[in-house]
This record gives sequence, C-alpha cells and structure tokens, in this order.
Amino acid sequence: MSFTTIGTVTPRKDGIGKVTGAERFTQDITLPGMWSALCLRSPHPHAKILAIDTSEAEAMGAVVLVPDDVPDLFYNERTVSVPARTYRDRRVLPRVARHVGEPIAAVAAPSEELAFRALSALKVNYQLLPAVLDPVAAQSATSPSLYQEVFFGDEVVAVSNNIACQRQITVGDAFQALAQSDFVFERNYSLPRVYHHQMETKSAVVRPDPDGGVTVWCTTQSIHNVRHLLARIFSLPMSKVKVKKTPLGGSFGSSIQMNTVIPICAALALKAMRPVKLVSSREEDFYSHTKYPSQIHLKIGVNGDMTIQGVIADVLVDIGAHQIQAYPYLGSICGWMVSLYKWKNIQYEGKAIYTNKVPTCAMQGYGNPQMNFAVESLIDEIAHQCGFDPIEFRLLNYVGAGDEFWGQGPTVRSIIKSCGVEETLRVGAEWIGWDRRQMPEVKSGRYRRGIGLARGFHTSGAGSPLPAEVVDLSSATVKVNEDGSLDVITPLQDLGGGTNDAHAKIAAEVFQVPLDKVGLSAVDTTTTCYDVCTHASRGTYVGGAAVLQAAQQAKTMILDFAGRLLGEFPQQLEMVFDSKLAETAVQSIGSNVKRMSLAEVARMAMVNGWGTAMGSGSYRQKNCPPSFVTNFVEVELDTLTGIIRIARAVSLADCGTLINPDLAAGQLEGSLMRYGGYALSEETENDPDSGALLCQGFITDNKIFSTNEMPYIKDFQTYFANTYEPSGPFGAKGLGEAAGNSVASAIANAIFNASGIRFTRLPITPERFLQALCERKGDQ
Amino acid sequence: MDQLTESMITIFLNDQPFQAVAGASESLLDFLRHRALATEVKCGCGRGDCGTCAVLFDGRMVKSCLVLAAQANGKRVYTIRGLGRDALMANLQDSFIQHGAIQCGFCTPGMLMAAYNLLRIKPTPTRSEIRQGIAGNLCRCTGYQKIIDAIAAVAGKTAFVSEAADSLDSPNPTATDQEKAKAGYLLLGGG
Repeated sequence: MSFTTIGTVTPRKDGIGKVTGAERFTQDITLPGMWSALCLRSPHPHAKILAIDTSEAEAMGAVVLVPDDVPDLFYNERTVSVPARTYRDRRVLPRVARHVGEPIAAVAAPSEELAFRALSALKVNYQLLPAVLDPVAAQSATSPSLYQEVFFGDEVVAVSNNIACQRQITVGDAFQALAQSDFVFERNYSLPRVYHHQMETKSAVVRPDPDGGVTVWCTTQSIHNVRHLLARIFSLPMSKVKVKKTPLGGSFGSSIQMNTVIPICAALALKAMRPVKLVSSREEDFYSHTKYPSQIHLKIGVNGDMTIQGVIADVLVDIGAHQIQAYPYLGSICGWMVSLYKWKNIQYEGKAIYTNKVPTCAMQGYGNPQMNFAVESLIDEIAHQCGFDPIEFRLLNYVGAGDEFWGQGPTVRSIIKSCGVEETLRVGAEWIGWDRRQMPEVKSGRYRRGIGLARGFHTSGAGSPLPAEVVDLSSATVKVNEDGSLDVITPLQDLGGGTNDAHAKIAAEVFQVPLDKVGLSAVDTTTTCYDVCTHASRGTYVGGAAVLQAAQQAKTMILDFAGRLLGEFPQQLEMVFDSKLAETAVQSIGSNVKRMSLAEVARMAMVNGWGTAMGSGSYRQKNCPPSFVTNFVEVELDTLTGIIRIARAVSLADCGTLINPDLAAGQLEGSLMRYGGYALSEETENDPDSGALLCQGFITDNKIFSTNEMPYIKDFQTYFANTYEPSGPFGAKGLGEAAGNSVASAIANAIFNASGIRFTRLPITPERFLQALCERKGDQ
Repeated sequence: MDQLTESMITIFLNDQPFQAVAGASESLLDFLRHRALATEVKCGCGRGDCGTCAVLFDGRMVKSCLVLAAQANGKRVYTIRGLGRDALMANLQDSFIQHGAIQCGFCTPGMLMAAYNLLRIKPTPTRSEIRQGIAGNLCRCTGYQKIIDAIAAVAGKTAFVSEAADSLDSPNPTATDQEKAKAGYLLLGGG
C-alpha cells in the first residue's frame, strides 16, 4: 500500500514547544493565588496512625489534611478493568501506613517554604506494627497481616496469609504431558523491583471552581479515569470535574492509575478553597510506584523432534502495599507465556502477595518482560542442551499467523492475522553474524564476546470479539474548519512516543491534506468523549482507529456537501491533493471535470447554513493483534571488572504499517536503554529491616543507563518487517511495549554464549557476574 | 524580608536584570522556576543526578539545582529561552526536531543546553565525544541514539558566531547591564 502522509518522517507537532521549553508540564502550571502543598510520608513500613497534632502547622497559616478529612471511600487507583473484577484497598489518606513513604497527611501553604515548615510542625502519634517484607514469609501462618479484608467489586473479601489475589489456568493436562516428554527442564527465575524513572515526577494542580467542581492538571495516562475517580471520591457530578489533557514527561505505565498525589491535592484545594499545586520530589516519586517484581518457576517438556509438549508455571508476585492491577497482572503474565509458544498443555498458578513496600504497577510490558526472560532463557537452554538450532527450534514452535493470541489474560483473545516473526529472525541472524558465533567453551582471555537472541511480542490494546475483563474504548472527533484545515480532538494521552502525531497523520491521510493543516486540539474531560487510557500499546491501534472512523464520517459529509455544490453523486467524488495549486480538492473520481477545493466546500457549507463537516464517536477494537519483536545482542564481558557491555545489537519489529518511522525506531532504541538497564544494572532494593529504599531517592544509585552504557550508533540497528495488519488503522499495530519485552532475555542469552553461565536472576550486575565466575572456578 | 535567612538577589537572566528575594539555601533552580517563573527550566530530581535543569551560568553549563541562588547574585544566567536567537542553539533545536530526538520532551531543554555547551567548547566533536559530552544528562525515552544523531548533524557544520555566545565568555555583566539594573528595569519577582 502506498500512502501520502503515513510512513513519512515529519517534524512532531509538539516539537517546537519541547525544544524551547515552552511546553507546560504539570509542574510548570502556575495559577493566581495558588498555594504549594507537600505530603507527610510515613517513616515506618507498617504503623497505625493514632493521632496527628496539626495545631502548630495551622497556627502558621497552613491548611492541613489528615485521614479524618477525606471521604471514607475505598477505591483502586486504576479503573481500567471492569468494576466487578477490581480489588479496592485504599482511601485518599490511610489510617494505617503500609509502606515507608506512604502519604499520611498533607499541608498547603502560600509558599513552598512555609509548607515545609508546617510539615515539620506536624506531630504524629504512631503505633508501630510488625512489618511484612518478604513475600514468601508473608504467607506463613505466623506472619503479621497487612489487611484483614478488602473489597472485590462490591463484595467484602477476607485476606488470608497476605495473599492479595490468585489465579489458576489449566489447558489440557500438563502434568501428564511432562511425564511423557523426552526431556523436562526446570528453573526458577527472579525478576527485580525496578523504578519507572520517567523524567517528570508525579504532580497535580487543582483549582476549585465557583460551581463547586474542580479543574485538574495532572500527570496521567487517562484524563477520563482521573475524572471518574475524583467524581466518585468527592461526590461530584462528572460534569463538574474538568481534567485537562496536560503534556506528560514520560510515564512507562506509572500513570495508568490515578497517581496518589492527585486526590490528595484535590482534597487540599477543596479544603483550602484555592488552587493548590502538589509536586513530588524525586525521592517521593521513588516511593510511589515500581514494576512488578516476580518469581517464576518454569517447567517445560519437550520431545527429541523439537516439539514442545507442555508447560507448568508458578508465579509469585510481591505487589507491595496496595493492589493496582495485580489481579489482571496474574492473568496477563500467563497470557504472555501462552502466546509465546504452542505449549499444547498448560498448568499455571499465579499468586500476588501483599508486603509493606512501595505499591507495584504496570511498567512497559506489564509482566511480559518478566515472563519473556523466564521462557526465552529456558528455551535457549533447552536448545543448547538438546542440540537444537535455537532459531529453528523457535520457528517450529512459535505462536503466529492463524493461531489464537491472548492479549490481556485469558478473557481477551483474538486470532493473529499479521506476523513477521520469521522475517525478523532471518534478517537479524544475518546482521549479527549468527552463523559465525562460537560456543562458550572456546572463549578465553579477559574480554569475551557472545551473541544471544530472544523474541517476544506485545498486544495492541485489549480488544476481543466480546467485551471482557478489561475496558477498551476510545473516542475521537474530527472536524473540517472553514478553510479546509482539520481539528483532531482526542482525549488520548501521548506518553511521548508520538501517538497524537500518528492520529494527526491518519486524519491527514483520509483527507489528503498536508500534515501542517491538521491541528491537535487542547482538550479536557468536558469536551471529549470517553477514552479508557493510553496503555497496552493501544494508542495507535485503538485510538488511531477511533480517529480514522471520525475522519471517515467527516469525509462523508464533505463529499455530500461537495455533491450538492457540484451537482454530482457523492459516491462519484474523491479527495486529492493538487500539488500544483498546493491545495486539497474534491473532484470526480479519476478526472477533474467537476472540481472544488476542500476549503471552498467547507466554506460554502457554512455560508449556505448546512453545517460543519465532522465525525465523532467511540470505537472498540474487536482484536488485539500482537506486534512481534526479535532482539539479537552481542555482549562483551570484562572478566576482570565484571562489567558487561552491549557491544552490538539489532532490534527487529513487526508492527504493521509504520506511521511515524523515526519515532517507531525511537521506541526500539529507548527500549534497549530501559531493558538494558533492567538486565544489567537497575534494581530498587529495600532495606530488609526498615523497608526503606536503599537508593534514598538518588537516581545515580539506581543506575539507569546514560549514553556511556549504550552501544555506539553504528553498532545498533533497527529493522521493521514488511507486514500489514488488516484490523488496524491503515494496517498499523502497537509497538511501545513490544519493543522492550525480549531485550533483557537476549542480553542474558548472549552472556551465556560468552561465558557459559546462565543467569536466572536480574540484574546481572558486575558483582553478581564476578561471583558467578568465582563459583564456577571453585567447581573446577 | 527576613534579614537572617533571606537576601535580595539580582541575576542577569537572558540579558535582562531580574531581582527577587531568595532564601539562604534556595537553589538557582528554585529561584528561576518559582521567582522568575522561568519554567523552561525543568526539574527532574533537584539533586544533581539528571541534568534536566541545566543552564548556562558564569560562562559554563551547570545543573542549576546544585548552585545556590545567592551564588548567582550579579551573574549572568542563560536558560534555553535566552538562546532562542542564537544561531547554534537554533540549529540544534531544529536538528532535534528533524531527527526524532524528542519523545516526551522533559529532558530536552537540559539536553540541548548540554549539546550547546559541548559544541561551544568543541565545535567538531567525534561521536564518542558527543556521548561523553551529554553523559551527565539522563533521558528515559529515546535511548540517546537520535539525540547523538541530532548533535552530530550540527557539529562542525557552520561556524556559529553570536552575541549570546560572546557574552557567555564574559561572565560579568557589562556596564550597560549594570546601568539597566540601576535605571529600574528590574522585573520584580515574588518574595
């Protein structure tokens, strides 16, 4: 297929705002009469709050918010799953602090300095409770408990042994299949707590409105879900909760849920009756969200003919102090396993455990990088042990075109229609020099190189033939202005990947107008219809499809208007871009006998009183096509220092039609950075006694990659397979999350190829690598 | 003004005198963002880790969260806004847009300051030197590759001569600047 705008490299619409610093993020919003707010955070991992003395702080002129001031309503910060399948265990300010850094009170004052003084004047009387910090010990009968009961939908459910929720999924009979397999392999994998590290910390600005409502600027991936929750918590009609779409300084999943500071800021603003701004410090942000750390026990049965017979998986997730999406996580992580290979027989059990640590939430991949590391490590090990060709072994067993795909756990399934797995494997193998790679046994010397491979995928959205556990709805409006330019109106947040640019391009393509004539409107929840959230790599596939539908409706109206003006049947008209006149025209199909510029049609429709050509509506995808990614990585190990360097890498993706080619490559490049860190350096560790974070809020102690850790540009390539997704807008699928899921697995497999050591725990730090080297020498 | 903990600070912000009261421990970053409302300077950590708040101060690039407002008294400070007409910065900004070097854009102003600083000191850096030159600035979105591409495309392309770059080399405000301040062009901030 050939396109005019789609697939071309164009300057992004928000580019000038971003390079000049004029783009206003939440922390940059200043309102007249605005006060500054700060949270008082628990220094204890588990403590009952008996009393808070606010008198001194109030005497300073500060407004103080304590647990008694907030509505006694329990909610889940994330509202993407249907309400009946949502656990609820938190209120705006808790009566029991359940992790170090949990906000327990807040102050607002005319200046940040006064707010700091007022905050230090608060006196809290705590009753210390024993802390639960280990997810295994947490399940013992003698362990203290975080909760006696929580809500599931509208039901009150008891919590026993700190088990927040669990899921079991059975397909066929895996026990029997493994008993009859030629080979059975079994391993335990351990995936760390990792902080999202988006560059902008979680923030909110809330202004009470004269009508009793609120206007909100905040860090969120879903303005409509923030509105839902604020309306419910503060008993306001939704029409009085105006959440403004505000640029987001990165997120990676950490704002799918309404961030904890948002309702606190709203409660303060309503109490103080003036605008309030609450910005998290970096350390506070560290204490607000983290990736799901998971322990995965995996057992795979395989026959000598390279066919996989079955899998048994046990997943234990340390979810921290609150449930955000632990229940759907347990379903999704199973789905990511199910959709990697044709297992035939599956036995899965997942358990989520409450501990007195930072609450966990989705982070780019939502369980997929965790599961991918376990499966792709073990598949690689099986290939090596059994003498299978690692590429052919994968090609024989992978789930691809025509197979069933689980897009978001067992209830969201669809049939795969487009698949570039084979292309990415073949092209990547050639680029990295797969055939020339040598086995670890022949390598020696201080520096050793090795090549590894892993493949993965991610869903595009959470659509399935019938609505399931996960809401998956987008809305958009496209209207044609009286000069032939377009406004695209979408509540869907752009997390930085260029999703809204993709939307503009889709509208430009439908109308054959130059991209600079398409505007992206500034919107809020009162001017847009519902959109669930920018998550699950759905921004382009679902959000883009909503824009496409709206644009096509608007086009139908334009053709109708033009038909009246030109005396022609609308179905006999088409839209073309006339490059000579540099204008878009409506004309008879295949000839310009009857012709009028788009601008003239739109203007005459206004003059004649016919109306504005526009389309508007909500859209739900009935599919969740996977985007496939393959990673080949060459590492260089320094056996003296233990430092592992990514020497060369190629990331190959199948995401259907490319809408923004440069930004799509940017997704693959950024993912190598984030998941290189996941593999080699990043971990937010807790002090085993105090529960505090050992990094103390310092980024440098959390070791995310800088330019120094990245491969040189000529040593890092990206590639896109030539595929077309029939259910996607102009053939497109998602990419954001797929880009990262198999990076760490490929790095670990490359480390094996270089050293002969299989790591089952991430990150593979220099210390751990040297320790493993020493242990192996000890064996010999 | 609390004489013990606060003082009156005048900085020459993007060639304009700006005066406000600052606390003794107030960082230049807070002074710029909260007093001068220079929100083009973003705050990513406030602890010198991320480089998001980079500005040109006293003729060199600094992380403004690591400089006290009081240290900046009487000194020149350039934010990205003040370099809008500078040919080198304009080229870098354009190159960032053309090369897809921006995703969420939060680190971008600081990253551009680092790039600008590098190319002023070393107009024709190698790619390795570009990597080193921006290693103190963190970006969580792009993986740095397109940022390095964007800087490399500008490096050595033109010899940039600009007024701003010249005045950066003379960190102390000129007599005209001082006169402007005295003549009452002060933009009084909150305090």
